[in-house]
Amino acid sequence: MFWRMVIMNVMSTIEYRASFVIYMVNVVATPLISLLVWLTVSEQGVALPYDRSQFVTYYVLLSVVSMLTSTWLAPFVAQAIRLGGLSSHLLRPVPYIAHFAGNNLGEKIVKLPLLLPLVALVALFFRADLRLPTQPRDWLLFALALPLAAAVAFLLDFVIGSLAFWMQDVSGLVRLKNLVGALLAGQLVPLALFPPQAAGFLEAQPFRYTLSFPLELLTGSLTPEATARGFAWQVGYCVGLWACYRLLWRYGLRSYAATGA
Amino acid sequence: MPAITVDNLSKTYRYHRKAPGLRGSIAGLFRRQMLETQAVADVSFTVEAGEIVGFLGPNGAGKTTTLKMLCGLLYPSDGQARVLGFTPARREPAFLRQISLVMGQKTMLSWDLPAMETLLLHKEMYSISETDFQRNLKQLAEILEVTELLRVQVRKLSLGERMKMELLTSLIHRPALLFLDEPTIGLDVVSQQRVREFLRDVNREQGTTILLTSHYMDDIEVLCPRVLVIDHGRLHFDGALASLVERAAPYKVLSAVFAAPVPPAALATALGELEQRPTADPLRISLAVPREQVADVAGRVLRLGRVVDLSIEEVPVEEIIRAMFRAPGSIGARA
Repeated sequence: MFWRMVIMNVMSTIEYRASFVIYMVNVVATPLISLLVWLTVSEQGVALPYDRSQFVTYYVLLSVVSMLTSTWLAPFVAQAIRLGGLSSHLLRPVPYIAHFAGNNLGEKIVKLPLLLPLVALVALFFRADLRLPTQPRDWLLFALALPLAAAVAFLLDFVIGSLAFWMQDVSGLVRLKNLVGALLAGQLVPLALFPPQAAGFLEAQPFRYTLSFPLELLTGSLTPEATARGFAWQVGYCVGLWACYRLLWRYGLRSYAATGA
Repeated sequence: MPAITVDNLSKTYRYHRKAPGLRGSIAGLFRRQMLETQAVADVSFTVEAGEIVGFLGPNGAGKTTTLKMLCGLLYPSDGQARVLGFTPARREPAFLRQISLVMGQKTMLSWDLPAMETLLLHKEMYSISETDFQRNLKQLAEILEVTELLRVQVRKLSLGERMKMELLTSLIHRPALLFLDEPTIGLDVVSQQRVREFLRDVNREQGTTILLTSHYMDDIEVLCPRVLVIDHGRLHFDGALASLVERAAPYKVLSAVFAAPVPPAALATALGELEQRPTADPLRISLAVPREQVADVAGRVLRLGRVVDLSIEEVPVEEIIRAMFRAPGSIGARA
């Protein structure tokens, strides 16, 4: 059943060709610009905790990882709750969250094969400095952390969208989350470049586990202990956010007014 | 066991009042006056399996709210509903698999894809076997005459075509209970009639229990042997449509068209106390005649002048309902 939902979303996404080509370019261009800025900075002789090859590896991989862990559902959830579009989903014997999981996966399946050639092109250009892990163990850990990161991001977004059961307008909150999230997830700047005093906070906050953590595994900047702790946090956030979601929906549906129809 | 049992069901909505203008909006930031409206109050009724029941009432009467509580979209504020042996608000999958709700103004079809894709999704969601799916699909698509349209993107369908697809989709899992909220809204007369015939067939052939709300009296007249009249959240009538008509309108409408105008004085003497209904045509008169006097009055009218046309009809149901909602309490509570 879930696979059918994914396929449907693949089909719907393909209907909007132009919009996701633009999206693709965006996904690659933004990290590329950041990369060029940092390379210039490090060439000026500024001492940074990352060397040239770490920057290159981080930003080249960033576009793929950030696409694969991205979510865009909160405004849709909020709108469905506020305007009553949720009703037709509630009538089906399948939880509403599955609808978005299908949408999320379906769109990513379309985007990935389009994104990879672009990223490969960038990688080719920077091939002299690109250092990918050679140990299968590192890739295995990455392969584990990546779906967990996608799950944390997805659940966090769903929980925020679900606040629409009580809040008239969650769009401000969504914008705030996107802004703070981009910074704290390592989307703009690798978390390793933050002041060392912030390390404890950065490790504990959820956004690290939506993007930065799998990237850190690939750039090889984590000790085995830090890796184990990271996985513990990631799994913890998954479980905690799932519990939040269940709780919010249990009480939220009581106040749902099924407006309009 | 009845398909639906409703005991003293109530629903109260909470909302806040905003004073007009910007000043009011700002004041609302700090202090909100919370108000409650009772959308449904103490409604009780039962529906047996296989019945078609129509919900009648003006806008905001509580029809849709009741329907939503019965299919589990809304939590009742008070009272109880049991539907097919389940408590709807719990939304158990076993319950959801047996019901369907069609909303005239909402879609469950995937906008960018042909309806067939949504149907395939429902096949999986409702665990319909391949043979059942093919059989139901073929049958429903043929009756609704949409076989050709199954592969057309939903957003390219006309309103009537889309509505038929909604019906098809809502019935593909053969629900035991079908809720319809304004199923014919916005449709042209021909499509309305198709949809009505289709619903009647579904009820007859598959024993599907149907509960529907509609603004179109024709829907109710053609489909529903039994009606529930609801207004201001309260149930005002539960019984056969015919007995509602008899009770609310103990008279028939007699219309006559004369060859030449009849002097008003002659009319007045011949018709006495009878109520004349307004007509646009000066040659035409229309009277509300108590049932037992119909034959007598018809005789008197025929003697007034040369009559070109004469008809004696039941009061249109629409008119009865309108009169009833203007003066609530004008009919007895229950049949």
